[in-house]
Amino acid sequence: MEDYDWELHGVEDDFHSQFAAELEVLAELEAGTAALSPSRGPRVGPVRRTFEEAIAGGDAATPCSPGRPSGSCNSGSRKRQLATSVQKNRPLLQTPRLKRPRLEAVKRLNFRLDEMEESLPPDSPPQHITPPQSPEVPAELWGKGPVDADADTSLIWASSATRNPVLRRPPVLEDYINVTSTGGDRAFLVLRADPVGTGVQSPFRDIWWRGRGQLDLLGIPFTSLKEQVDNERRQRVLHEAQHLSDTLRSLRSEEVEEALEEEPANNQDDSKHCLWVDEFAPQHYTELLSDDFTNRCLLKWLKLWDVVVFGRERPARKPRPSVESARVGKEAAASSKWKSHEQVLEEMLEAELDPSQRPRQKVALLCGPPGLGKTTLAHVIARHAGYSVVEMNASDDRSPEAFRTHIEAATQMESVLGAGGKPNCLVIDEIDGAPTAAINVLLSIIDHKGPKEAEPRGLAIPAGGVPRRRRAEGGLLMRPIICICNDQFAVSLRQLKHQAFLLHFPPTLPSRLVQRLQEISLRHGLQADPGALAALCEKTDNDIRACINTLQFLHGQGQQELSVQDVQTTRVGLKDQRKGLFSVWQEVFQLPRAQRQHVGQDLTLPTHTLLLGDGLTGAAPHAAKVSLTMAAQRFYHILHTAASAGEHEKVVQGLFDNFLRLRLRDSSLGTVCVALDWLTFEDLLGQAAHHRQSFQLLRYRPFLPAAFHLLFASSHVPRITFPSSQQEAQNRTSQVQNLIQTLVSGITPATRSRTSALALVLDTLCLLLDILVPKLRPVSTQLYSTREKLQLASLVGTMIAYSLTYRQERMPDGQYVYRLEPNVEEVCRFPELPARKPLTYQAKQLIAHEIEVEKMRRVEALARDRDVPQVDESPSGAKGPQEDAGGKGAQPPTSHSHAQWLECILKRTAQEDQPERDFFGRLVVRKEAAPCAEDAAPETDSAEWRMGTAVGRSDVWFRFQEGVSNAVRRSLYIRELL
Amino acid sequence: MVQIVVSSAGAGGLAEWVLMELQGEIEARYSTGLAGNLLGDLHYTTEGIPVLIVGHHILYGKIIHLEKPFAVLVKHTPGEQDCDELGCETGTRYLVTALIKNKILFKTRPKPIITNVPKKV
Repeated sequence: MEDYDWELHGVEDDFHSQFAAELEVLAELEAGTAALSPSRGPRVGPVRRTFEEAIAGGDAATPCSPGRPSGSCNSGSRKRQLATSVQKNRPLLQTPRLKRPRLEAVKRLNFRLDEMEESLPPDSPPQHITPPQSPEVPAELWGKGPVDADADTSLIWASSATRNPVLRRPPVLEDYINVTSTGGDRAFLVLRADPVGTGVQSPFRDIWWRGRGQLDLLGIPFTSLKEQVDNERRQRVLHEAQHLSDTLRSLRSEEVEEALEEEPANNQDDSKHCLWVDEFAPQHYTELLSDDFTNRCLLKWLKLWDVVVFGRERPARKPRPSVESARVGKEAAASSKWKSHEQVLEEMLEAELDPSQRPRQKVALLCGPPGLGKTTLAHVIARHAGYSVVEMNASDDRSPEAFRTHIEAATQMESVLGAGGKPNCLVIDEIDGAPTAAINVLLSIIDHKGPKEAEPRGLAIPAGGVPRRRRAEGGLLMRPIICICNDQFAVSLRQLKHQAFLLHFPPTLPSRLVQRLQEISLRHGLQADPGALAALCEKTDNDIRACINTLQFLHGQGQQELSVQDVQTTRVGLKDQRKGLFSVWQEVFQLPRAQRQHVGQDLTLPTHTLLLGDGLTGAAPHAAKVSLTMAAQRFYHILHTAASAGEHEKVVQGLFDNFLRLRLRDSSLGTVCVALDWLTFEDLLGQAAHHRQSFQLLRYRPFLPAAFHLLFASSHVPRITFPSSQQEAQNRTSQVQNLIQTLVSGITPATRSRTSALALVLDTLCLLLDILVPKLRPVSTQLYSTREKLQLASLVGTMIAYSLTYRQERMPDGQYVYRLEPNVEEVCRFPELPARKPLTYQAKQLIAHEIEVEKMRRVEALARDRDVPQVDESPSGAKGPQEDAGGKGAQPPTSHSHAQWLECILKRTAQEDQPERDFFGRLVVRKEAAPCAEDAAPETDSAEWRMGTAVGRSDVWFRFQEGVSNAVRRSLYIRELL
Repeated sequence: MVQIVVSSAGAGGLAEWVLMELQGEIEARYSTGLAGNLLGDLHYTTEGIPVLIVGHHILYGKIIHLEKPFAVLVKHTPGEQDCDELGCETGTRYLVTALIKNKILFKTRPKPIITNVPKKV
């Protein structure tokens, strides 16, 4: 078979001969699963090819000399294919290899072949058979596309030839039809019943008949069709060659074989509908990509539950006396501080079970960045350990009630159907998305102690007693719970972390990931070299999910091969994962470790991407052309990191807080100056952007971290602290402003009129503090000299003017101190500077007392000043009634007493002729006819009425206070007597 | 030390005043203050019981002899011009003008004076 193939197709045949053994293996494989057949891919290329061939055969009848062993010209090879069709009958009879396994492929390809054979006049003579084992052929095969483009078609023919009904000699036993070519060759077509099905033959015939007039039936221009086909064929051949070799290589490992067996035979159709991530999710423990130690630890932890769940005895490793076990556990806990994380985990797993035979940690908490396979691990391991997995997404069921219902349903019930009586294992995904209340529910379930807890330990509970006890213990958690979170530092998880079996997920090893990716791409006919896959892994930070999704995306876009360039230019695989602030700062301040450059990796590519990514497309075309130096690459990297970091303010604050703590190489502090300039620039930018809403300026902000990186990056690991200076400064500012405000509001108006807050801070206060510290003798003020008294008085006056005083405070240690209040010292004194010599406690006490006394004096003086005008006013106020009284013409001004009034009234009533006046001497207008009796009554009895008014409406009246005898009590100051 | 000089004009010439104690308040009707207004009439009944008529109230009191008599002092402040540092303290003098040995206490509920009774009654 190889012989004649080679003759006919030159180079392509050699491909076939080269991989004959592999093809054989493949065929065997296909017999079983048909998973990796190279011929299973979409066969667009070959179909077109046949049309093309048919056409070519139709118009170009000039045959190449078919005897050339290295006939690499296209037309020649095509011609020879025509010849093949005729000649295939002979090898069919002679070498019936590979017949059985290829049935399916043959069936698919049948129609093409036949059509071709029938449509073309078999004009070329049969070739002689000499298998060429030329060593230079493989180079051609891989190097030149067009040459080996026919490899697959030859392969197809090779396989299809086994059933070819075209024979050179008339078949002995069957009916046949003979066909004669223009060249005089005669072929015999076997008439045979369709062995496979009815569907093949009829289209075959249709096209067969149509094939006769195929020249006119092409809608597409032939040249374009040809180009298209050429391209596709080139890719396909390359890809399939790679495919084959890779498959065979990977076949050696056991894992692949397992995976191949699991893979459904018809996954070609499925893969279009389901994600590769799901399709290739590990099904067994051995297929897990994640860190072995992590896997093992989780499995061990899950196995600890076997005692209580399955009733198996725990394999006794080290029989410890149960009395000592508590002590041992304590010791272990104490010493675990100094052990590595692995040791701690191991010890946790070794630890005794608790009294109810459960592991000490009831919950396992898997934490790690997304895409590492945490959920997969939990599922696989739970299944591996014999549980049926109940998954629950904590960020979906957020309310505590729903949480409790779910947990209880999962841990206390058992599915009767389906799961086959397996116990449940609850997997709570994304538990960091759950609110704290829900976590508390989980914690309370965990903490729920069974009645056994209180009993003394060491009860050997027989395995048979497990179901009974479970019934008795009701709400006790008897099922393992695996929680999964991305962010283990979530606030809500704080409590849970203490009680959980915490497992950090280390990043996947790139080598393992690359291997798995290669398998996947192989299975889907995506050609990918390890370098490209490694680049992909690196790009996605070894995120399995992102890698596979990117692969599928590229595959779905029709790409058949994956190159490093593809990986680097694609923006698909990039997660929008923000890096933590600390990692951003670290990246800014630390030089990246020197990385291996992949061979053939073009540096301009990432640059271009980065520039595009930053939206600086204007600069991109120029910059991309320039091959970048390492520094420039670093620059762009930091730029990208900073742009994607999000909280820019925080980033800058962190840089500001930390950059002076770095080891500065520049002794002249030039870099510091530059950095400070940058910070100023940043401030200006931020101000301009936010105050004037010119947000286009924000795009320049990521340059600050980049500049810092270039200025300060070193290979040392920087010790980075979280920035707090901004917060502190803000607090302090507001505090000081409050102080100033208090001070200003207390300052006497006379002083305040000459001080603004700013002037107070800048000019007055620091000097004022010096003024306020006079030298006072520690003796009683009685003994002060006049000068000292004046000094004290001026001090007190000053302090009162600024509303300062000393206030006694109790220190935490029980001492009493006098503090200036408001404490302007905080405003105008730098804390690092040495404090001035403070006044003694006694002096402060004295001053405080003096201030109080002086304040009292001033208040009293104020009150007295207020009293004096009142005293002055009162005579004038008293004049009013006197004048009024004087105004009463008829009444004598001296008539004061009731007796006199009464006399007057009586006298007046006697004098009827006098015009009537009321009490106040006004003339009463008498009406001629009294309109009503009520009016008349008082007027007629005017004497009594007047007497009543005189008595009842006097200026002064008396209010009796019953039962109260507060004697006249008035505070009297000595000063008033003086 | 505070020294207050109290002097009397003469032992024989002191007037004797009477202190009047009221259980209650004396208020001005027209918010002009009490100063300069007539308080009321004080009479004595034939039995010597003091009767005070304030407004439309009539109060009956009794005379009480004070255990400790009071002296009425009048403050004399010297002018500002002759006040030096020490003189300020000694400049203020008090002159006894009267003595109070008795007081009239009105502690019963006052009785109202009704004026506009019908004429026939």
